[in-house]
Amino acid sequence: MNYGRAALISTFVVGGGQMYSGRFWTGICFAVIFYGSIVLMINIWTELNPAFWGLVAVWILVWLFNIYDAYKGMSYEKPQCEKTCPAGIAPWIYINLVATESKQYYPFVPFFDTLERICPAPCEEHCTRQGINSSVAIKYLKSGVKKTIPSFKQKTKKEKIAIVGAGPCGLTTAYYLAYKGYEAVIYEKEKIPGGVLATLIPEFRLPKSTIDKEIENILNIGIGLKCGIEIGKDLSMDELLKKYDAVFIGTGAWKPEKLGIPGEENALIGFNILEQIKKGKNFNLGRVGVIGGGNTAIDIARSLTRQGNEVKIYYRRSIEDMPAEQENRIETQEEGIEIIPLTLPKEIKKDRVTMVKTECPEGRNGPVKMIQASEFNVALDNVVMAVGQQPETDFLKGYVKLDKFSRIITKNGKTSHPKIFAGGDVVLGSATVAHAVGHGMKTAKRIDFYLKRIPLFLGRLFSKTYQPKVKLLPINDINRITIPHRDIEERIHDFEEVELKVSKEELKREATRCLSCPLRYRP
Amino acid sequence: MSLKRIIQIIATIIQNSYIPVFFSGGIYQGILKKGCVPILNCWGCPLAWYSCPMGALQHFIGLKLIPFYILGFFGTIGMVIGRMSCGWICPFGFFQDLLYKIKSVKMKLPKWCSYIKYVILIGVAGIAVYLTGEQWFCKLCPNGTLIAGIPLILADKTGDLRALVGWHFYMKIAILIFVILFSIIIKRFFCRTFCPIGAIYSIFNRFSLLKLKIDKEKCIECKSCQMACPMDVPIYRASNHIDCIRCLDCVKICPTKAIKYELR
Repeated sequence: MNYGRAALISTFVVGGGQMYSGRFWTGICFAVIFYGSIVLMINIWTELNPAFWGLVAVWILVWLFNIYDAYKGMSYEKPQCEKTCPAGIAPWIYINLVATESKQYYPFVPFFDTLERICPAPCEEHCTRQGINSSVAIKYLKSGVKKTIPSFKQKTKKEKIAIVGAGPCGLTTAYYLAYKGYEAVIYEKEKIPGGVLATLIPEFRLPKSTIDKEIENILNIGIGLKCGIEIGKDLSMDELLKKYDAVFIGTGAWKPEKLGIPGEENALIGFNILEQIKKGKNFNLGRVGVIGGGNTAIDIARSLTRQGNEVKIYYRRSIEDMPAEQENRIETQEEGIEIIPLTLPKEIKKDRVTMVKTECPEGRNGPVKMIQASEFNVALDNVVMAVGQQPETDFLKGYVKLDKFSRIITKNGKTSHPKIFAGGDVVLGSATVAHAVGHGMKTAKRIDFYLKRIPLFLGRLFSKTYQPKVKLLPINDINRITIPHRDIEERIHDFEEVELKVSKEELKREATRCLSCPLRYRP
Repeated sequence: MSLKRIIQIIATIIQNSYIPVFFSGGIYQGILKKGCVPILNCWGCPLAWYSCPMGALQHFIGLKLIPFYILGFFGTIGMVIGRMSCGWICPFGFFQDLLYKIKSVKMKLPKWCSYIKYVILIGVAGIAVYLTGEQWFCKLCPNGTLIAGIPLILADKTGDLRALVGWHFYMKIAILIFVILFSIIIKRFFCRTFCPIGAIYSIFNRFSLLKLKIDKEKCIECKSCQMACPMDVPIYRASNHIDCIRCLDCVKICPTKAIKYELR
């Protein structure tokens, strides 16, 4: 649908643009309000007086709103799934497209297939369907969606943007900027693009073929990619700022955090292990204790188990408070990996670790207190630390403001330097791919507004949202799909994907469970 | 069609069905006009049977009398059902409900706008009327323009009324178009920002016998109640909000049946 043309029609004929874009009655209503009141005024005209200009002002308001409405299209109220999505995806729309077997395509979202596998899915926690039985499998349903694949886009604008880091956030930003017609150039330190997705996340959660295809799709649109160049070493920040109109920093968080306990140098660093496993190295570490409760810790544990090591996870809070994805955690426990909650290492020695019991009554965000005299020794051959990451932003010192965790301080993607923008883990500390994709999308918009010199609020007012035709389906009482997994005995010996695919019919059946809240719950 | 819609249509017809006006040409002035409807419905409308409580209130304030009848009327209805009549029988509210159904860009009303109606009540319908003796709210009321002003002038055969059209009438039409436009964009724009009757009833919302009750155990905060609410009230956390018109839509749609109403 050409909304620009609709707006143009509405400029000359009030209500015309709405009729052009398929909203017949809306167009009629606008026309009646505008032309009807003019006819009324002609009919009862007596004299010209100051109040007439007030009337003219209201007519102009109606006219302007009619153009704006034709340009924007109708809007739905955002349901909880869309509001809570860190990646800014509208789940209810793609689920509706699956449920109605619509011929429409969902617009390309970078890393859509990746998010199908490794998203924490806050949408499912807030799903309205929970009021009836249990939430819709929003994350899993992504596999049934027909998406558009981007094709090469001619660069229509002369501005050039440098993007530092080819991780999920950098690639997303580059995609949306290229989509808008800018020339985006990515600088990547490693040999291959993809960041955490390509180098860290194990095969059984995210197969290499998926991520390669995703990156290929993104690069299709026409993005310059320069691998093996580290900013600050091979190329200075000053040069970058001189050469490009805007610079985006999406370097992620790669510096492992430390606990600051004696003997910590004896421990292995989680990131290195994951990186080497991904490269094909086989570890034989014996009894391993993984410290941490995030996705990294769980990935390490599951990977090492697959290589025949005996792994236990130690976490300082309770199992429910673990920041890792719930699904990932449950699969881990299924695979026989023990998670020991409320435990913190106190001292690490060559062959054993002194642990201490903790308590945290206030949950995930509350403080963790050590219980007095509860130390115990655990015999472990190796300890792997996976207690969080910090960004490495030394090369940015003097350019932008950083906080005490060396994260970049941003406001709507904008840093303290007018030409530098940032997003993803370098701003958030350590978050998820979904957050990175969402940040990338928002920051690309922000950079677009900056280069066009449009104030943010105006840009937001006129930014368009995707509006397909959606259809309300009746409520049914189908229960949630059970996502098939590979047999535990089989899967703990190799690195093949754990989740299996189901047939199209079953996906459609699951999709019909969606309540389509914005269509159903309106006055 | 839901029960609420049917009652809204019936109420609109009952309140505005003085058919003889088409033959006699004068507005009804009989015994029923001495009675008020509990909502905003202009008594100047050629079809109106009853009088508007806001008009009556201003009439007495303009005469510098204490309007015991109207205050007692508002107090009784407010104490029993709160703002319920706004949701079920107000024709202008019904009109706005229909306007919001138009598919267009929708927006949210800032929170502070809910308090403008108290300024209108005290300032325009209170102090200004007391000082000048003129019914200022009626002079500006978009409901009056829609159902009384425009029909009366269009149906005027003698030309007496048409001769009176001046800056004041132009302004009334401007206000009406403004309210209609914003009612398309924002849920029940007039009720939430300007309506002085709503302002009076909303004071009683917290004490009225009819109340909404949320079962916090059952509530999953899906916010579908707020999405379905014609006044955009966050029912799940403010069940007796000043803008709640007790239309009971939320009770009907709540997926966990966590919202209940009780009369005690």
